[in-house]
Amino acid sequence: MSTPTRSPEQIADRISPRQQVNWDWRAAGNFIAGGSGGGLLLWVSIVGLRGGDVRFVLGAGMALIALGLTCVWFEIGRPWRALNTFRHGTSSWMTREAIVALLLFACGLLALWSGQSLLTGATGVLGLAFLYAQARILTANKGIAAWRHPRSLPLVVATGLTEGAGLLVCASWGSAQLAAASSLLAVLAALRLLAWRRYLTALEKDAAPAGAIKALRRIDANFRWVGNVVPALLALLAGWTGLPAVALVAAVLAVLAGWRCKYALICEAAFTQGFALPKLPVRGRR
Amino acid sequence: MSQAKTVKHVPTFCYNCVSGPDFMKVKVEDGVATDIEPNFDAEDIHPARGRVCVKAYGLVQKTYNPNRVLTPMMRTNPKKGRKEDPGFVPISWDEALDIVAAKLNTIRATGLRDQAGLPRLAASFGHGGTPANYMGTFPALLSAWGPIDYSFGSGQGVKCVHSEHLYGEFWHRAFTVAADTPNARYVISLGANVDVTGGPCAVLRHADARVRGYKRVAVEPHLSVTSACSAEWLPIRPKTDAAFLFALIHVLVCERRLAQLDVPFLRDRTSSPYLVAPDGLYLRDAGSGKPLVWDQACGAAVAFDTPGAKPAVAGRYQVARAVVVDADQARRELLDVEGATAYEMLCEHIAKYPPEWAATVCDVPAATIRRIAEEYLENASIGATIEIDGKTLALRPVAVTLGKSVNNGWGAYECCWARTVLAALVGALENPGGLLGTTVRLNRPQDNRHLSVKPGEDGFMVQHFNPTDREHWQAAPATRNLHQTLVPIVGHNGAWSQALGPTQLAWMFQQERPADWNMPAPTFPELWIVFRSNPAISFWDTRRLADIVARFPFLVCFACTVDETNFMADLLLPEATDLESTQMIRMGGTKYMEQFWDYKGVVLRQKAVEPQGDCRDFTWISTQLAKRTGLLEPYVAALNRGVSGVAPLKGEGYDYSLDPAREPAPEQIWDAVCRAASVTLSAGKQEHGLEWFQEHGFYAVAMSRLEWYLTPTLERQGLRYELPYQERLLRVGRELGNRLHEKGMAWWDEQLSEYRALPEWHDVPARWERELENAGAKIADFPFWLLATKSMQYHAGGNASIAMMHEISGNMHGHTGVIMNAKTAARLGIAEGDRVEIRSHIGATYGKAALVQGIRPDTLVVTGQFDHWATPFAKDLELPSLNTIAPMSLELTDATGSGSDIVRVALRRVEATT
Amino acid sequence: MTRYAMVIDLRRCVGCQTCTAACKSANATPPGVQWRRVLDLESGEFPDVRRSFVPVGCMHCANPPCEHVCPTTATKKRADGLVTIDYDICIGCANCIMACPYDARSVVHEAHYAYGDQPMASEALRFDPARLRVATKCTFCQDRIDLAARTGQVPGRDPEVTPACVNSCISGAMHFGDIADPGSNVSQLLAQTEHFRMHEELGTDPSMYYVWDRK
Repeated sequence: MSTPTRSPEQIADRISPRQQVNWDWRAAGNFIAGGSGGGLLLWVSIVGLRGGDVRFVLGAGMALIALGLTCVWFEIGRPWRALNTFRHGTSSWMTREAIVALLLFACGLLALWSGQSLLTGATGVLGLAFLYAQARILTANKGIAAWRHPRSLPLVVATGLTEGAGLLVCASWGSAQLAAASSLLAVLAALRLLAWRRYLTALEKDAAPAGAIKALRRIDANFRWVGNVVPALLALLAGWTGLPAVALVAAVLAVLAGWRCKYALICEAAFTQGFALPKLPVRGRR
Repeated sequence: MSQAKTVKHVPTFCYNCVSGPDFMKVKVEDGVATDIEPNFDAEDIHPARGRVCVKAYGLVQKTYNPNRVLTPMMRTNPKKGRKEDPGFVPISWDEALDIVAAKLNTIRATGLRDQAGLPRLAASFGHGGTPANYMGTFPALLSAWGPIDYSFGSGQGVKCVHSEHLYGEFWHRAFTVAADTPNARYVISLGANVDVTGGPCAVLRHADARVRGYKRVAVEPHLSVTSACSAEWLPIRPKTDAAFLFALIHVLVCERRLAQLDVPFLRDRTSSPYLVAPDGLYLRDAGSGKPLVWDQACGAAVAFDTPGAKPAVAGRYQVARAVVVDADQARRELLDVEGATAYEMLCEHIAKYPPEWAATVCDVPAATIRRIAEEYLENASIGATIEIDGKTLALRPVAVTLGKSVNNGWGAYECCWARTVLAALVGALENPGGLLGTTVRLNRPQDNRHLSVKPGEDGFMVQHFNPTDREHWQAAPATRNLHQTLVPIVGHNGAWSQALGPTQLAWMFQQERPADWNMPAPTFPELWIVFRSNPAISFWDTRRLADIVARFPFLVCFACTVDETNFMADLLLPEATDLESTQMIRMGGTKYMEQFWDYKGVVLRQKAVEPQGDCRDFTWISTQLAKRTGLLEPYVAALNRGVSGVAPLKGEGYDYSLDPAREPAPEQIWDAVCRAASVTLSAGKQEHGLEWFQEHGFYAVAMSRLEWYLTPTLERQGLRYELPYQERLLRVGRELGNRLHEKGMAWWDEQLSEYRALPEWHDVPARWERELENAGAKIADFPFWLLATKSMQYHAGGNASIAMMHEISGNMHGHTGVIMNAKTAARLGIAEGDRVEIRSHIGATYGKAALVQGIRPDTLVVTGQFDHWATPFAKDLELPSLNTIAPMSLELTDATGSGSDIVRVALRRVEATT
Repeated sequence: MTRYAMVIDLRRCVGCQTCTAACKSANATPPGVQWRRVLDLESGEFPDVRRSFVPVGCMHCANPPCEHVCPTTATKKRADGLVTIDYDICIGCANCIMACPYDARSVVHEAHYAYGDQPMASEALRFDPARLRVATKCTFCQDRIDLAARTGQVPGRDPEVTPACVNSCISGAMHFGDIADPGSNVSQLLAQTEHFRMHEELGTDPSMYYVWDRK
């Protein structure tokens, strides 16, 4: 006969902080695809408002969000009850994320069908709202020290916007807005870097679990340099020179870095804070 | 959840470990046991308020364990060994019982003892007699049989609190010793892991005491649960506890002086005033032979029991004329001889053991030792009294408790003596708040130790030593562990004395014997019956022991699952287990650990669910065997006498006796037992049969708390505790030595060195080092001490195959492997969870490293006894065991025949965790 | 107004896991799931070391982060203080598990049994498919609390309406009752002792109090 599925070591591990085990790459996928999609929708809607034909990219943004939500659908225990997700809009950011997604798809599909730029603009705003809702889902989760920290919000929003800008750059290959998109990417990468550094510093100062900090430090150097500094510089260069290849490299690096960052956040640095006793019991007289 | 159609809550008890019995109810839904609950009906009478410990909650899984043996099984592979599949095949009960009966009948026809004088039938039961709570009327069958050899132990006795069992009972009818926790203010615990093994009764009492504000100082090498729950932890070097205790005595006796101690207690209740001659024997009255004391009133030496005498407790005195009586009644007359009081001898003896000396030995700072001694004395509150049930008794709320590895093996005599002396010095021995014995096993009656207090020689309690005089000494062993031959103090009280003999010798001497062995070579028993015992896991050198088990001619095991011992069986018999069978036992009074109640009575274990498969009630099995061996009449006669029950089935004013000519059904037997028990307990006022007990579960009557304390009983009879001076042991040891030497045997000589009137410090840890070197190993290769500890989840270990226990025990840090000091681990490059090897000079065992701060850097600890290779589920756990790598060794056996779970080891990482 | 709470006297707890076992037994939780468990926490450095035993589980917070984040309202806070889960609404998204700072919740996706693939009779009888693939946690033995409302018995005093873990505790460490009632057992114990709650700084307002000393 076999031993039980969860070993005593695994159970005993539930004292000191440990990486959560319930959200895996599928949950990460939601934040990755959804965040990128939301950011992309915001930026592409601005292009649309300025008269560009953004239907394809708009569709791509919505597809990304849909992809993310599909990942989640495959992760939850009772997927056929998914519609219950809409029941707690009064306090749950997960409900609000679902509501926003619904509105986003409705608005976006209408925009695609009608070509109305105002609808495109609204879709963009909803994309931002979706990204924001995702970030709020994480900060509401008090069980995970790295998520509930207030500075995770600007980081998650910043990377979603940065990834969106990066995807916009990719989609702007050969178009007039490439330079502008590249400049936008440069600025956002710099802001993301700032958010990342402030986040890490604050985590350390506020004594987040060592395992979480260790996991984030593991990607820190690459994220900073390869994921933000280099793309920012390359994007700046592309913005001045209009060189599409340079812009593309910057964009791909920035997008992949954002995805790696979010994967680390969800699946590697998501440590519970364990247990601590502010006072030790007095066992008889001393 | 689907709703069950019928739900019952069936009252029963758990007595799987020595800390019971405790109450519980089994929730049965549609005939399936689903849950265990406390029995709150017993809340007011049970010291643990009707609750039962964690292990009992595993009994549902035990019942439905798919690995259970559910039908009798017969071995088909004639070869036996760890690598030989037994080839068990199912057979019917008829066949199985016929096989067993045939063996038994052959023995009866040939002779109950073989040519070596040893019983042909052997039986082994585990853990402190607790199997008796689950074997129905089997004891009646055993009693009807005749001589049986109980020598093949599985660790109970010799690895238990062994020296405490024997010396404790000798000194104060204390087979086990406890603090009077409800009244205690200060307890020094040396390895007594009472919050793990004391059971619900002890756990609750010590928790109450903590909240009340008592202080417990825990002295042991690692921070056990008990140490954790204490006010102070002193990480003493392993096996140096005697040095610590001697130093405490030193502080009281040499630094604080007699006037600050309990002088009346010492003078009147101990042998302190007895005068000792220069040769170490008591000075005795030439006419009466009674030990002399110095009467301060008349300034002369008089017999100790002279009315009106005022014996001096301390001092040296000139005695005009006296005799001494040495071993073998050798009598010498002494004239004008200086006699020192026993107390004076103690003072002079202990003067060489100050705290400064002890600190170098035991690694506890001298200032700490001194402080502890002074706290002990201060808290003893000498002079204080308490009223209990209308009587005024001395209140001395201090005690020193000992645990395994301290009160067994070498050094245990010294520790048991020292802590009992510490109690006597402040009058805490068997007085409220102090050091209490709880029951007797070597003396009778077993259910009332007060009745076993009878006048013996020299003003002490009677003690039935195994004779060591030339005429009566058991020269040719009557049991394979030689208990009557080698261990006088263990007495001859049937199965208990046997089981408390040096059971490792029974195993060892089957393999090889000392060169100067001049007795018949021990034979194997023709039939060996085992129940609730797994020596191939729980003893020492267990792999080798399993090989010896494989050589037994015929082994019948009552089996719940296959295990490492019954792997070698010829026959497996599946008895109906805890929740599936009926039995009544005594409860209350005063018994092991801290089971001392304010009530006494009886409690029923009953069939909550039908037995699984074809498992049968042990009572039915016993009756069947009695019938098939022609022993039905003596078997029923034993039942009628009260064996296996509580009270005789016939007595004044009642007769529920069974007809010896007829085969009684189990329910019939237990109904009679229930009625006899209730009638005797209620002094004839109430009679309750089985049906009543099945509904109510138990019956209790109030008891006086005075029964907790033995000193008033001694006072009433004018008796003394044989402390501090062990003159009788000195003589007995000399006599034993004479007997052995007359037979040309010197192989027990080292053990004879323990028979001292006043115990000396001898380098106890060095004995383990020497044993290793004598075996050809180098001590430098084995730098660590390995100790064993227990967890409440596995105390008694019989539940190793229960999945839930394994799961929840994982919450205890270290239960998954080897506990070691974090700095030590870092030094050796070992990280948390790394697989490590612990190697002794005889073998290796493996487990996962658990790094803690709460352990000495030179010590490793393993929890429980695992390392299974046959028991389903347990064998896949890959947990280490000290038992695999600790040797069975004559060198490591003390005079009472016990040893300790301690061995020198090497440690290294084997592979890292991923 | 009622607020059920648990008071754990850490001076008494010996880490025996009897409450862990009693909870598993009473609630038929599958292998690996412990709604109640006792932590074994060490602090300090040799030889000045402390070891504490801390029963934990769902704290039935008055300000439960799990309830705030639950998208389906499966997790709810009752008027009597219990935080409950409606297994039939829950979608098993595990958001509540992330929200809980006490590691109190879990989701089991497949049926597992103590010994391999087949359930024992005791497991088969109590197997509840509704508890698969949804969040589960300590319920304060909700059925017993609800029974008290019908019978008038007092949770924490009368065993039939008291959580199984509290009933089972052999050291007397665990207490249960209504802290909104100043005369209750728990209120009196809290009044006489020094106590704290776990991770109070997170603003969860937990309903489990840990006693560490007399006043």
